[in-house]
Amino acid sequence: MYDVPNTEINVEQRDIKISARKVQVYYGTTHAIKDVNCEIQDKTVTAFIGPSGCGKSTFLRCLNRMNDTIDICRVEGDITIDGEDIYDKRVDPVQLRAKVGMVFQKPNPFPKSIYDNVAYGPRIHGLARNKADLDVIVERSLRRAAIWDEVKDRLDAPGTGLSGGQQQRLCIARAVATEPEVLLMDEPCSALDPIATSQVEELIDELRQEYSVVIVTHSMQQAARVSQKTAFFHLGHLVEYGDTSKIFTNPVDSRTESYITGRIG
Amino acid sequence: MTDASMDTPTPRRKKISLVADDARTKKRNKAEKRFQAYGIGAIAIGLFFLLVLATSILRSGIPAFTTTVVSVEFTLQQEEFDEAEGQLFKTKAYSNYFISALQTTLTEKGIKVSFDEASIERVMGKIGSTLREHYSASPDTLGQPVDFSLGASSRVDGYFKGRVTREGLQDSRFLTLADLDLVDALAEAGIITTTFDWNFITGADSGVDNPGGAGIGASVVGSFFMMLVVLFLSLPIGVAASIYLEEFAPQNRWTDLVEVNISNLAAVPSIVFGILGLAVFIQFAHLPQSAPLVGGLVLTLMTLPTIIISTRASLKAVPPSIRDAALGVGASRMQSVFHHVLPLAMPGILTGTIIGLAQALGETAPLLLIGMVGFVARGYPDGFISGFIDPNSAMPAQIYTWAARADASFYEKAWGGIIILLIFLLTMNIIAIILRRRFERRW
Amino acid sequence: MPVFWLIVIVLALAAVGFILGRARALQSAGGDRRDLHSLPIYYGSNVAMKSLVPAFLLMIGWLIAQPFAVNYAVSGMIPDSVISEGSSRGLILAEVRRTSDGLTNAVASGALTDDMARDAGADLDAVTTRLKDAGQVVTSQITQPVLHAAQRYRALNATGNWVMTGLVLLTALVGVLWGLKETNADFRARNVVEQGVMALLIAAASIAVLTTIGIVFSLIGNTWVFFNLYPAGDFFTLLEWAPSFSGRGGSSSLGVLPLLWGTFYISIVALLVAVPVGLFAAVYLSEYASPTVRSFAKPMLEVLAGIPTIVYGLFALLTIGPMLLSVFGPDGTGWMGGQRAVITAGLAMGIMLIPFVSSLSDDIINAVPQAMRDGSYGLGATKSETIKQVILPAALPGIVGAILLAASRAIGETMIVVLGAGAAARLSLNPFEAMTTVTAKIVSQLTGDSDFASPEALVAFALGMSLFVLTLGLNVLALFIVRKYREQYD
Repeated sequence: MYDVPNTEINVEQRDIKISARKVQVYYGTTHAIKDVNCEIQDKTVTAFIGPSGCGKSTFLRCLNRMNDTIDICRVEGDITIDGEDIYDKRVDPVQLRAKVGMVFQKPNPFPKSIYDNVAYGPRIHGLARNKADLDVIVERSLRRAAIWDEVKDRLDAPGTGLSGGQQQRLCIARAVATEPEVLLMDEPCSALDPIATSQVEELIDELRQEYSVVIVTHSMQQAARVSQKTAFFHLGHLVEYGDTSKIFTNPVDSRTESYITGRIG
Repeated sequence: MTDASMDTPTPRRKKISLVADDARTKKRNKAEKRFQAYGIGAIAIGLFFLLVLATSILRSGIPAFTTTVVSVEFTLQQEEFDEAEGQLFKTKAYSNYFISALQTTLTEKGIKVSFDEASIERVMGKIGSTLREHYSASPDTLGQPVDFSLGASSRVDGYFKGRVTREGLQDSRFLTLADLDLVDALAEAGIITTTFDWNFITGADSGVDNPGGAGIGASVVGSFFMMLVVLFLSLPIGVAASIYLEEFAPQNRWTDLVEVNISNLAAVPSIVFGILGLAVFIQFAHLPQSAPLVGGLVLTLMTLPTIIISTRASLKAVPPSIRDAALGVGASRMQSVFHHVLPLAMPGILTGTIIGLAQALGETAPLLLIGMVGFVARGYPDGFISGFIDPNSAMPAQIYTWAARADASFYEKAWGGIIILLIFLLTMNIIAIILRRRFERRW
Repeated sequence: MPVFWLIVIVLALAAVGFILGRARALQSAGGDRRDLHSLPIYYGSNVAMKSLVPAFLLMIGWLIAQPFAVNYAVSGMIPDSVISEGSSRGLILAEVRRTSDGLTNAVASGALTDDMARDAGADLDAVTTRLKDAGQVVTSQITQPVLHAAQRYRALNATGNWVMTGLVLLTALVGVLWGLKETNADFRARNVVEQGVMALLIAAASIAVLTTIGIVFSLIGNTWVFFNLYPAGDFFTLLEWAPSFSGRGGSSSLGVLPLLWGTFYISIVALLVAVPVGLFAAVYLSEYASPTVRSFAKPMLEVLAGIPTIVYGLFALLTIGPMLLSVFGPDGTGWMGGQRAVITAGLAMGIMLIPFVSSLSDDIINAVPQAMRDGSYGLGATKSETIKQVILPAALPGIVGAILLAASRAIGETMIVVLGAGAAARLSLNPFEAMTTVTAKIVSQLTGDSDFASPEALVAFALGMSLFVLTLGLNVLALFIVRKYREQYD
């Protein structure tokens, strides 16, 4: 069913899921992302690191066109998913976002019941034929987000009543319930305590079995723990991109080295 | 949800291309478009109503600013005067002179139309007595041409403004179809003209029988005195109350009570304030009815919550660091508020006050109950103090009085009054907007 | 205007006190202001405050109390025999007051000498004639006791005014001296003045409470009188509103239910117009509209809110009414008899409420955190799905509160229904019929010709009470809901 034969881009051991070429992002007159080229692999966790305001979150939001909701934001260059340009005029961002799910910095459960939070995506995308289907999807998603055991007895309780870590895992369950192919995570642990963080990190590692995960993080330890690939952003440039082990042990660029050793940032 | 269901392999979504919308997405996008159309429709309905309102105000109100006058140049000789005064029906004699003079003028201009005394009276009132009064008062103008400017009758006025049409006219003792021929002829000769009606802006109300002579001037003065009362009471009291509640009030039940009170008062129907005014100021305190002072007091009580709410918002917007800075150099809390916080909040307070005043200016219902409606304000108050305590009307009350009168010609005056009222409100709101734009501070 | 001059004199005394106090403080510090506890103006203000506040309080108290005292004294002079059938002591007293005013005005215009106005033995007919000649309205013929009472009333008031003037001036003077006496370099003038200012601030804040108390008492007092004249049970249960204007009481049927029905019906029509339009407009403006459209359409809609209700009333009567009549009237479908109808008033009121609903809903929709929207978009929801399934449910309590506030507005609205709804009280379901409301009847009962003490006039207070309780309930409920909702996102 692929329009583009994927053998051509299958250069490494895994498929290239997302490919970005010469991406420029402007906020009004500010040039926020400068000439970024990047290829993100399937079934891999890719971490974006860099100092605050370096553009890593902006770039992440380009990948599912969340920037469309900001009026003054303008994106140039090509970003393709499975070979299809996501900024093509014919692409419906709604369909794109179903394919590229997102988890946000602050847990943002809807003020609805836990069940309805998870069922929201499947409902709007028509993934369930009946209530039983939906029940299955909700349970599977909650199990996958490792929160099922904590909430199975109170699926009708409001999602806002959970603790921070539970809320974030609920948001992850909500995102995986739509069966995305890519999962974008914007500093998913920054609002969480260490225990909740480790739970979410474990979860990310498991999610790698089925999805391509892109995670923005401020914590270099976290990047080292969960990712296989790391991209270092600085002042809107993608400075260095490669295997996580290589970036953290033997960086090529001096700026990367300064950052991971704590001299800039 | 049984465990068995978990064993089934996860049903992945069918891989679909991003560039081609599937059926479900198409359906969802249609729903999206539909929803958006409802929104645009709602805005369009709102704007449409505004447009209808504006056009009906302008279309019906503009004629109130013009009036139809008959201006005739007429010469009466000494001997004609003597002869007329010698007759039994003196005014009839004058009319006859006038009619023949008018006939001559029209013939000179080549306009042929026949009319009699009765039709002249229907068009421009009793001309004979006007002439007699003039010449008795100033006999020295005898023999010289004099310009007589007379108001046309209300129905003729209506004919020029489109209120009365030939098709809809039924002959009556007020106007006949033949009269309209005369009116057309006079208009052609330039004797009947439409001019700007200064009397509407500066004049006082007339009685029920004279819609043409009604003016809004006296009630503008009434409203002015009322607004003075409102301004000088509600601004200091409102600001003082807000300062206390925002800066000094301890968190206790009394403060809670006052706060709940204020937010409820802001939503109490205005008519209830009218009842309060009637019971307290008129029944109990025996203040004069229909007085701008009483109207002002009632409107003050009504405006206070609005001013308090907006003043508190402006005080709240001043950051605590300003207060800390003043306290840090040894100022008392009172000094920090009056020297620093209050001046910084002043633009916001003034804006809120002007908007409160504008609301009070347009309020009618409470004025109904304290007797400012139905009162015929025949003149201006004769001094500053009597401006407060002499009975008067106010703009919205005057408009209501006109709207409630049986004669439809007063409706035009009511719409005209609305134009004047809206001009005042617009001016006040523009001043408020300018104040806000110029002095608003963002912290 | 003696009170006016009294105020001016007291203010002048205070001003003198201010200057003296300031000077005395400086003098006590040997001319060096650094040795003073407070700034010099505080010493001046302290003196001024001590003279002004007690003097004015005394004056206000006296002005309120004097009429009661005088009334009481004069009331005793009128023998019961004078009070004729169907009249009351209150009416006679009102006549006494009118006569007394007439005497004063006649003296002022020179028609009566002051002595003649005072003379208890003055010829009744002569005084009456002169009063009438002076253009002072005198009801029919003044009786001897009324004239005596009026003269006594005048004399008491005059004495009272003189005593008050004297006492107030004395108080002011004592205040100045007291303030000057405590003035010395160590006196904590600022603290004292600030306490005084604080008292003023508290007094100002209490006016809001006093207003509510005033409303409640004026409503309860007169409602109580009404229910003594007219059975409360009838008022709340009768299905008919038919006040008689001819006689006193008796045959009137004053049932509130038809009025309440009219009020609710018109409000419902208004809300049916305002809520969908206002809500959709708010949703469009906050979620879809570009900044340009928003900056144009929002103020335009808000213009509708700034227009006084009298304009909407006239609009209903003279534009909407005839327009509806031409479609539904005898020439059209024939449903509508006259231009005044439930639908006429309801439509005008609906237009008035559109901006009210839309701006309140706009605030509430904007208070829903952006994270909520992001979460939904991130899952691939369209805007309308996000609005319908996330934003509106989240904002629902606030929107319900806004609608309740709008309903309370509609119920309390007066001018539109007075001009647009009609005068006949009816229990009917037909929106094209004329009906009337509680507010419209308050106006007509209190501005009509009926005697103020008759149940036909007093019923207005009972109606006002019902209106007040109804709107208060709605407001409290709405504020409670909105407040609860705000806490959710704080």
